[in-house]
Amino acid sequence: MENLQPMIRLTDVDICFYIQENGFVSMKDFLLNLGKYKLLQKSFVLKNVNLQINKGESFALLGKNGSGKSTLLRALSGIIMPEKGKIELFGAVAPLLGLGVGLEHELTGIENIRLCCALMGMTKAEIKKRLPEIIDFSELGEAVNWQVKRYSTGMMSRLSFSIAIIKQPEILLIDEVLSVGDIGFQQKCLKKVMEIKENGATIIFVSHNFDEVSHMCTRAALVNHGTVEFVGTVEEVGEKYRQLFEH
Amino acid sequence: MSKSLLLNSGFHNAVLSLAIKTIKLRYKNSFLGIFWSMLNPLIFLLILILVFQHINHIEHFALYALSGLIFWNFISASILQVITSFIDNAAILKSINLHPFSFPLSAMVAAIFNLLLTLIPFFILMFFLGYQINLSILAFVPFLIVSAGFILGLGLFLGTINVFFRDIQLLWTTIIPAFFYFTPIAYAPELLPEGQRFLLKLNPFYYFIDSFHDIFYRSQFPSFENFGMSFLIAAFSLFIGYIAFKKYRKGFISNI
Repeated sequence: MENLQPMIRLTDVDICFYIQENGFVSMKDFLLNLGKYKLLQKSFVLKNVNLQINKGESFALLGKNGSGKSTLLRALSGIIMPEKGKIELFGAVAPLLGLGVGLEHELTGIENIRLCCALMGMTKAEIKKRLPEIIDFSELGEAVNWQVKRYSTGMMSRLSFSIAIIKQPEILLIDEVLSVGDIGFQQKCLKKVMEIKENGATIIFVSHNFDEVSHMCTRAALVNHGTVEFVGTVEEVGEKYRQLFEH
Repeated sequence: MSKSLLLNSGFHNAVLSLAIKTIKLRYKNSFLGIFWSMLNPLIFLLILILVFQHINHIEHFALYALSGLIFWNFISASILQVITSFIDNAAILKSINLHPFSFPLSAMVAAIFNLLLTLIPFFILMFFLGYQINLSILAFVPFLIVSAGFILGLGLFLGTINVFFRDIQLLWTTIIPAFFYFTPIAYAPELLPEGQRFLLKLNPFYYFIDSFHDIFYRSQFPSFENFGMSFLIAAFSLFIGYIAFKKYRKGFISNI
C-alpha cells in the first residue's frame, strides 16, 4: 500500500430491496388490501457500510452466500442506487457479475459482443476496432458465429469475460466468474486480471476459493448479515471467515 | 429522464442497439420474418370486408378498415412491448449499468421501425383501395410522434406496475380485444345512433385511430378535436408514466 489514493469510497451506505412482504401474488389480493399496507416494504440488504479501497489495490470480499456481497458489487457498478449514504468512484468501472448474464441466447457471439459493447457505452468505431481483439482473446474461433444458446457454460464465460475486460477498466469488479472455463482459460483470465492490475487498476474480487483470493489480493473485507464486519489483510479476514462456519 | 440523459450519445447508441436486438430476436428462426406483421392485418382486413362491409354504408370501406387496422395493431402491440420491456431485458437490467428508461424507449423505437417497414407495402395497397394522396400526408410524422408519446407514457406506467404485478400484462392482453370493438375500426361511428356516439369518445384510443382515419381515409389533416385530444392524452400518459417510473424504479432490481 505504497499509494493511498482512494479509488472507491463508501460512506454510511444503506442498500434496500423493495419487496411485497404481504405476499401479493395477484391483482385481486392487491386490490382487496389496497390502503391497508404500503405497496412495497423496505428491507435492508446492506446497512451502514463504510469502506475505502485504494488505487492499485486488489481487494477481496468474503462472506457466506446471501450476505450481500453481490449486492455490494451491483451497487459499485451503479446498477443499484444506495438508499442512503454516498458511493464515490474515482475511475471507470467494468463489472463482471456472474457468467453469461447479459448475453442474449438467440444472438450469435459476434452479435452479443456488439450489443454488450454498445450497452457499455462504446461507440461504433470503437467496437469495430476492438472486435477482432475480443474474438481473439475469447479463443472461440469459429464459434463466435454460433448462437449463444449452443454454447457451453465455459464458452459463455469466455465470451463475457473477453467483453468485460476490453475497455481497460480502472476498477474491475469480479463476482465468482473466474472459476468456470477450463484450466487453460482460467489461467489466461487470471493472467489478464494481473495484467490489468499491474497497469494500475483496482480490483474487487468476490470468490469462495480462498487459494485464488489469497493469491490475488492483499486486503479483504468480511461481509456478514448485510454489514462489513471486518476489514484487514486477506489472512486475517480468511481466518474470521472460516470461524463463521465453526459453530 | 433528465435532459442530459436524452442528449447523451452513449444512451442513444445503447437504445438503438437494444431496438435492433429486439427486431432481430422477433424474427429470428422464422421463415416469413417481417411478413407476419403484415399477415395479421391482411387476414383481419379480409374478414372485415367479408362480414362488415354490408352493414357499413360508407365509401371505400376496405380503405377505412385497413388504415384503422394497421394503426390499431401498432398501438395495441407496441404498448404491450413497452409494458414487458423491463422483464424482457431482466438479465441486462441486472448486470449492466444502463438507465432503465432505455428499455421502454428501445421497445418504442423497435415498434416504430416495424411499423414503417410494413407501412411501405400497405401504403401501395391503400392506393388500390381508393386512397387519394394530398398534403395531409404531411401530418403523419408529427402525429406518429404524438402517438408514440401516448404509447410510451401508458406503457411506462403499466410496465412499472407490471414489474411488481405480472397481472398487468395478462390484463392488457385480455382487455385489448374488447377495446378493438369499442374503437371504430370494423364500423364507422355513423353506424351508431347519434345519441350514442359520445360513448365512443370516452375511449382514448378513439382519437388516435380517428386521426389516422383522417390522414389515410379522409385525406385530410386530423381534426382539431382529434389532434388536441390525442395531444392531451399523450401528455397525460407521459406524465403518469414518468411519475410511476420515478417512484418505483428503485424496486426494479429486487422484483424482476
